[in-house]
Amino acid sequence: MFELLQGVPLFFNPLALAATTLGIIAGLVIGVLPGLGPLMGIVLMLPVAFHLPPIAGMGMLIAIYIGGSAGGSVSAILLRIPGTPIAAATLFDGFPMAQKGRAQDAVGLAMTASTLGGLIGGIVLLFFSPLLAKFALRFAPPEYFGMALLGVLTIAIVSEGSALKGLLAGGLGLALAMIGTDEFTNAYRFTFGNFNLSSGPHVVAVVVGLFALSELFFQIESGGFLDRPNVQRLRVSFRAFRLIVHHKVNLVRSALIGTFFGAIPGTGGDVSAFISYAAAKKMSRPGEVFGEGAEAGIVASEAANNGCCGGAMIPTLSLGIPGDGSTAVLMGGLILLGFFPGPELFRSHPEIVGGIFIAYMVGNIIMLLLGVVLAPLFGRVLRIPKAWLIPAVLLLSVLGTYALQSSVFDLWVMLVFGAVGYLMRRAHYPLAPVIIGMILGNVLENNFRRALLLSRDGPMIFVERPISAAIIAIDILLLIMIVVSTIRASRRAERDPGPDQT
Amino acid sequence: MRRFRDQAFDWTVWALFAAVPAVIFWQSATSLEEQGAASGGAMENAAFYPRIVAAIMTALLAWHVVRLALARSRKASPFARGVGTRLALVAAGMFVGYLLALPYAGYHLATPILSALLFRILGMRPLPAVAGGLVLSFGLAFVFESLLNVILPVGIFDLALFS
Repeated sequence: MFELLQGVPLFFNPLALAATTLGIIAGLVIGVLPGLGPLMGIVLMLPVAFHLPPIAGMGMLIAIYIGGSAGGSVSAILLRIPGTPIAAATLFDGFPMAQKGRAQDAVGLAMTASTLGGLIGGIVLLFFSPLLAKFALRFAPPEYFGMALLGVLTIAIVSEGSALKGLLAGGLGLALAMIGTDEFTNAYRFTFGNFNLSSGPHVVAVVVGLFALSELFFQIESGGFLDRPNVQRLRVSFRAFRLIVHHKVNLVRSALIGTFFGAIPGTGGDVSAFISYAAAKKMSRPGEVFGEGAEAGIVASEAANNGCCGGAMIPTLSLGIPGDGSTAVLMGGLILLGFFPGPELFRSHPEIVGGIFIAYMVGNIIMLLLGVVLAPLFGRVLRIPKAWLIPAVLLLSVLGTYALQSSVFDLWVMLVFGAVGYLMRRAHYPLAPVIIGMILGNVLENNFRRALLLSRDGPMIFVERPISAAIIAIDILLLIMIVVSTIRASRRAERDPGPDQT
Repeated sequence: MRRFRDQAFDWTVWALFAAVPAVIFWQSATSLEEQGAASGGAMENAAFYPRIVAAIMTALLAWHVVRLALARSRKASPFARGVGTRLALVAAGMFVGYLLALPYAGYHLATPILSALLFRILGMRPLPAVAGGLVLSFGLAFVFESLLNVILPVGIFDLALFS
């Protein structure tokens, strides 16, 4: 644990602090805008982080993650449109509260609960990650293979849409990870003689295409480019700091629920926000009417979805298994910066892990101040017409993707995956499993082949070792769950054959 | 036929995904075979793991095609035009043109034109669209060229403003 303190000098320098502060502002602004969100923010700023020192770069990306997770509450409160899916539960009470003339308090409470929830998630992260990483030091290739498979399966099973589509999307990610030079034989795989593919398609080009470009296409399709919604004016107010004290039990409970669900790969902030909202409703005091502007509803939802950020980083950092789409891209960022998450990172680079922990905690504290001070800005951001945003996001995507390798080819990759992402979204396929499959693909293959090498090509190695056998058993259970849930969904569709558009 | 129309995007993506295992099996049997990396144990067989993934994907795709054919998918995905579908296709076409021109025209020539045109087709008046295009493209170029030391495409005119 004390080794992690080596990260203090790496973080407390002007560049890392400025990058983290900038990340919080960018995250809040991106989170506020409906349709964007923390994942989009991380995707767009990933190439910028690539040009910074590791802790400054990761500090900025983590700050966007936590800022974006909190920012989504603002449009939920002011417009009844959650800026991000994880803020969906916030609108139940946030919007009615704003309608009663308390928008200021609602936004203040959302920001304060997000910060404190994030900090509680951070404390859990700080204690559990090193323990989990220490345990994972016993892992050998069979266990890593089982864990990577678990990551792909869990993301597939809990992603939006059907589990079957999630698995297919994960399969596409695994296939993309195979492109390039084979590490063991140096053979060129699926490159079609194109030198640009000798290292495979760049993960950032694929991510930007899938998420940012496809979203731009959707935004253009939906029209309303010059619309400016009517938004209540917000002032700077610190009253929420006093209000939150009345909800301390709810806050801690919700943050812990969020952290717990965040740590389960694939579960995500939206699930935890709804569960903690339901828990808060069940345990509400007399007189608290949920759905009509109850402060406790906002606190529960926001503390959970930001607590989830800390939770999602636990398996990401200690095992190299991302908790959700955003942490998958964060993990990709860390790999780009030259560090592979997992137990080895804790052993060989404790200063990097320490720096990341500090960046996460300090980022949350910065957010507490900026979330309140910048409140008047949020209303103005919501009034920015799409006609301004679409070209800006497109150019940022172009420059960021090009800057990685100074390659126009990467821009073509981005465009192709923009089209793929659009088609997949239209067909109700989840996108996150593609990225997770792509990031975990190499881990999965390398450890699969290494394990077989150790056992002289005998598959029994995966079940002879107790930890590996346990992980493989969980993998099989998940597969059975996928089969059962898909068959049930088919039967439901058979009973109700009319296709619905929801 | 109606079933196909209702699930048009689903069928399209199914075909796209079906190409993945097909390419894996084809390349394993041709390119990897020629390189001598498509047989043997786990160490020397670069096609071993891809073939497993391709086989699993084939099984999943077969399952999915049965679901699609029997209309067991609850969500419809028809080729429906939105209010801005035509505009989105125009913007996509402009972006393809931009990517084709970028290596020759360079960033500082191609990008202001692309962004000004985008602003314009999204409903801004001509003057603000041109001003917006210039400010946005040169502002971002300043950040990337000056602060992040990225060399943007210079094109045949060797145009570089901030590096």
